[in-house]
Amino acid sequence: MSVYLTPEQLTARNRRSRWIAIGLVAFIVVIFLSTFLRMQRNLAERTAQQQVVAEMAR
Amino acid sequence: MIPVSTSTPAISTAQPEDFFQLLKPRVMSLVIFTAATGLVVAPGSVNPIVAAIAILCIAVGAGAAGTFNMALEGETDALMRRTRGRPVAAGRLKKNDAMAFGVVLSVFSVMLLGMNTNWFAAGLLLMTIVYYAVFYTLMLKRRTPQNIVIGGAAGAFPPVIGWAAVTGDAPWQAWLLFLIIFLWTPPHSWALALYSTGDYAKAGIPMMPVARGARSTRLQILLYSLVFVPSAIAPGLVGMGGPLYLAVSILGGLMFLALAVRLWRSRAGDAPDGIGRDGTEVVGREAALYDVRAEAKPARNLFAFSILYLTVLFAALLIESFATFGAT
Repeated sequence: MSVYLTPEQLTARNRRSRWIAIGLVAFIVVIFLSTFLRMQRNLAERTAQQQVVAEMAR
Repeated sequence: MIPVSTSTPAISTAQPEDFFQLLKPRVMSLVIFTAATGLVVAPGSVNPIVAAIAILCIAVGAGAAGTFNMALEGETDALMRRTRGRPVAAGRLKKNDAMAFGVVLSVFSVMLLGMNTNWFAAGLLLMTIVYYAVFYTLMLKRRTPQNIVIGGAAGAFPPVIGWAAVTGDAPWQAWLLFLIIFLWTPPHSWALALYSTGDYAKAGIPMMPVARGARSTRLQILLYSLVFVPSAIAPGLVGMGGPLYLAVSILGGLMFLALAVRLWRSRAGDAPDGIGRDGTEVVGREAALYDVRAEAKPARNLFAFSILYLTVLFAALLIESFATFGAT
């Protein structure tokens, strides 16, 4: 069975699709930023720990 | 026209704006504001981008709770002037689509908040969503006139979540912010309910004016106001807020009490509602909120001032705390 979308339905679907795309891109950016900042924080913590260990060893 | 070869046609004409409306943008803006306050007032520092993502997650989580509420309450919303234009109530969106949208938002907001900050804050956000969608919407709203007293806790969680996002715990100071919103909710909601009684009765929701009458509601608003105002001033007395907060909370608190007393002495809610200043039925959300007859004005005034007071309280906390909010 073939179903025909009216111009109104087609426009609505295209607009929804566009916003889903924008939402996905925004989500990717947020995940990237979140991961990057977490790694930066963890690296800083590890460096600080290594410095403490090095000072104790001296 | 484009042929689509499926037996079950996807014939929705729902617009992106309809999905956005599901999030209850007005409530969301208050959530953003109070969550940001909790985040900034909390001791310790947090990267501004982490803070922004945390606030986004809390706002989207609150939006998910609102989405579940609208999906589950579509039929009831259709009976009330203030809510009949909502996407599910108006038939622009199917209930299941709204539910699916709510599930997606809940999963992403909770997971992202956990990954971005800590799982204690994410757990609180999940609890808030479940509390509002299940405990309030499905269980309390139709069963007790105390629905918004108990359900109001869901709206009070955002500053605690914001605080927990920074520190990983929720000390008493965070719960003081919770208490302010928790005690603010009854006078705020009942003031609105006093001039929407007919709507709630039609929808079968036992709001206080419907279940106990306008006179009892006006008294309870006054009693809650007497408890709420000291709790609003408390942060200024325990060192969370400075002189600005103390001044704003005391002056605004006195105004709040004056309006509550005026409402208590008025006849707001006694006459049938839903009639505007010009004597015709009010239609539309804005009109339902603010276009009221003379005898209902004390209720409308307290409702409007309560929003302003809460906003100013948290703004004062934000301004005073912002100087010490540093990035790492």
